[in-house]
Amino acid sequence: MIEFKHVSFAYDSHGEQEDIHRTDDLHDINLKVNDGECVLLCGKSGCGKTTMTRLVNGLVPHFYPGKLTGEVLLYGRNISEIPMYETASLVGSVFQNPRTQFFNVDTDSEIAFGVENRAFPREQIEEKVAAAAKDLKIENLLKRNIFSLSGGEKQKIAFASVYAMNPCVYLLDEPSSNLDMETVASLRTHLKMLKSQGKTVLIVEHRLYYLMGIADRIIVFDEGQIKKVYSAQEFLSLTDEERRIMGLRTTDLRKEVPEVIMDEEREIGLELKNVSLYYGKKTVVENISTKISRGEVIALVGKNGTGKTTFSRALCGLHRETKGDFFLDGRVIPKKKRQKISYMVMQDVNYELFAESVEAECSFGIKNPDSGLVAETMNVLELTPFAKQHPGTLSGGQKQRVAVAVGQVCKKELIVFDEPTSGLDYESMARVAKIVHNLSEQGKIIFVVTHDYEFFCRTCNRMLVFSDGEISYDLKCRADNKEQIMRLLFFAMCENKGGDLFE
Amino acid sequence: MIWSVYTENRLGLQFDPRTKIIMLILCVISATIAPSLLYESVLIFAVTVFGCASGKVRRSLFCAAFYGAFYMLTKFVISLEKGTLYTVFTSWLGLFYTVYPCAFLASIILSTTKVSEFLTATSKAHIPNKVVIPLAVMLRYIPTVCEDWGYIKDAMRLRDVTPSLFGFLKNPAMAVECLYVPLLMTASNTADELSAAALTRGIENPTPRTCLIEVRFRGRDWIATVLAVCVLVLGFIWERIV
Repeated sequence: MIEFKHVSFAYDSHGEQEDIHRTDDLHDINLKVNDGECVLLCGKSGCGKTTMTRLVNGLVPHFYPGKLTGEVLLYGRNISEIPMYETASLVGSVFQNPRTQFFNVDTDSEIAFGVENRAFPREQIEEKVAAAAKDLKIENLLKRNIFSLSGGEKQKIAFASVYAMNPCVYLLDEPSSNLDMETVASLRTHLKMLKSQGKTVLIVEHRLYYLMGIADRIIVFDEGQIKKVYSAQEFLSLTDEERRIMGLRTTDLRKEVPEVIMDEEREIGLELKNVSLYYGKKTVVENISTKISRGEVIALVGKNGTGKTTFSRALCGLHRETKGDFFLDGRVIPKKKRQKISYMVMQDVNYELFAESVEAECSFGIKNPDSGLVAETMNVLELTPFAKQHPGTLSGGQKQRVAVAVGQVCKKELIVFDEPTSGLDYESMARVAKIVHNLSEQGKIIFVVTHDYEFFCRTCNRMLVFSDGEISYDLKCRADNKEQIMRLLFFAMCENKGGDLFE
Repeated sequence: MIWSVYTENRLGLQFDPRTKIIMLILCVISATIAPSLLYESVLIFAVTVFGCASGKVRRSLFCAAFYGAFYMLTKFVISLEKGTLYTVFTSWLGLFYTVYPCAFLASIILSTTKVSEFLTATSKAHIPNKVVIPLAVMLRYIPTVCEDWGYIKDAMRLRDVTPSLFGFLKNPAMAVECLYVPLLMTASNTADELSAAALTRGIENPTPRTCLIEVRFRGRDWIATVLAVCVLVLGFIWERIV
């Protein structure tokens, strides 16, 4: 049993560069989580839900210092007084970013890592690793190099590593934000298994649909306080409007339908003729021929490893091993030229921000920057208040807008968004959708790599489905094919492995 | 393996990480005192044998061959006895011959040691957690940087900055800025997240940890250590016997 008694917590600020906007502090929390219960914590970004999990696994106050009042009791013991390695044997944590939660380079050692730290004899470690792999059905991932795995596979290994330790409490902090729908579905299966084993599960999440039917209680946070506690029944009966005001995403994907429909025929902007992509000797995608009009927003969907990333890098002229021709307004655009006219808003935007202020960032690398254009773009994207700030001090969503601004100032015609909505709450997702919409109205050609069906429905008017070395479907959203698109998308994204999730 | 290039290592002998650390220390001393070029070759030969025994045959032979070529070049330059080439070359020759054997051995060690093995061995050797954990996080961080570099290169190209030697020469300040700003921005996050993941899985446990792979000082470790000591002693008495 976990008990929060009048808990308040304020992080020590680490000087200026620490996110000021994203406080995540807590004020006077009272909560009791029973054994075997699955509790979903949700709310807008920065509402304090992540801090809740850190209080349970001891990272607060042991690793993240700050001012803590009240007490958090785990089976009657105050967590802030237990050393972290002891808490670790009772509470298992899975985090958001699959890239940074493994410590070893091979999968077996990684699954064994937690058990090794608890100093079990070697034979038992072997048994536990094998058992974890069997229960989670990931035997095919054993004896592999973790760096060669996809994000979803990495997340499974992280989960297995915690599972092998057999803790009584599981904490999951936005575990799905970097996963495709298929892996989300298998995460759902794993959570069901934990419930049947009588484990306590605390889960922080923005994507809610896959937790319906699993979560027993849903707790909505707002500005560091518990706003409302719902039972599963009550939560499902909320109207869309009520849900959105609280900043929450959809609870049922089947209710969402593609909204953006482009009826009139427009002039063709980009054309691909017999484009094939290779990776070393391997063929990734073959013979892509397609015509794309200006203003279209095209979703690139398909499972991990089907070539979406390679395709988007080829569009931007970053992938070398390509055959076939790209045309823009009827003229061939070679690789170098494509680098000039295209821009990619990466999933981790930090990689593409170089300058010392937002203003300088917008004109970085341009010989004669047009200061009028810079000012106007910043204004449109609501960045003017931060013009003199270092991009590093902004929030994730603001950084993303800076990247979009860069694309605008550089007058890029083709913009690729790579997973723009991973880990975003409803409000931020809607804002990204609006930005994409504006770009589309300016006649830019936009590609979006995404696993987020809710986002797809709001922004995209066409989709390319990647599977088995080709583009298997190329569909425009029309009023009469919504059902087909939905089915195709779910199929492309997950092949219905969630069992009861998409039936 | 600490490096990201991980290949299943079935052929090679597995040495205790403690042996590897001792050997590295001995190698550093040997390379520093190396009395002659011939002795240096003996040292390289010893490292190559160790590399082959650990199962890194291709890498070892390649590094040995590179050394061989460099050795020939050195002989040739020394035979010139004077001239610009001679002066330029000999001035950094010493540096190369001191660093090369150590770098060679270190690369073999890094590519054959698993992080968990390393942690277990150091805890057996009673090295305190305060020293070991930051070191392990640091080692784990290296391959992450290599991955990051790929993304940064893409971002630079789209901003019309060439991420190549030519681009660097054309505008070094810009190239450096493009590299270190994103790296620094991501570094503190990455390090925090890595540490959090390790802490919540009980890395701080003071009880000596166990390991999926057996870590123990075997006969082969004794042999390797004794041989390494012999090479070092040879270095000290070299001038008397040759």
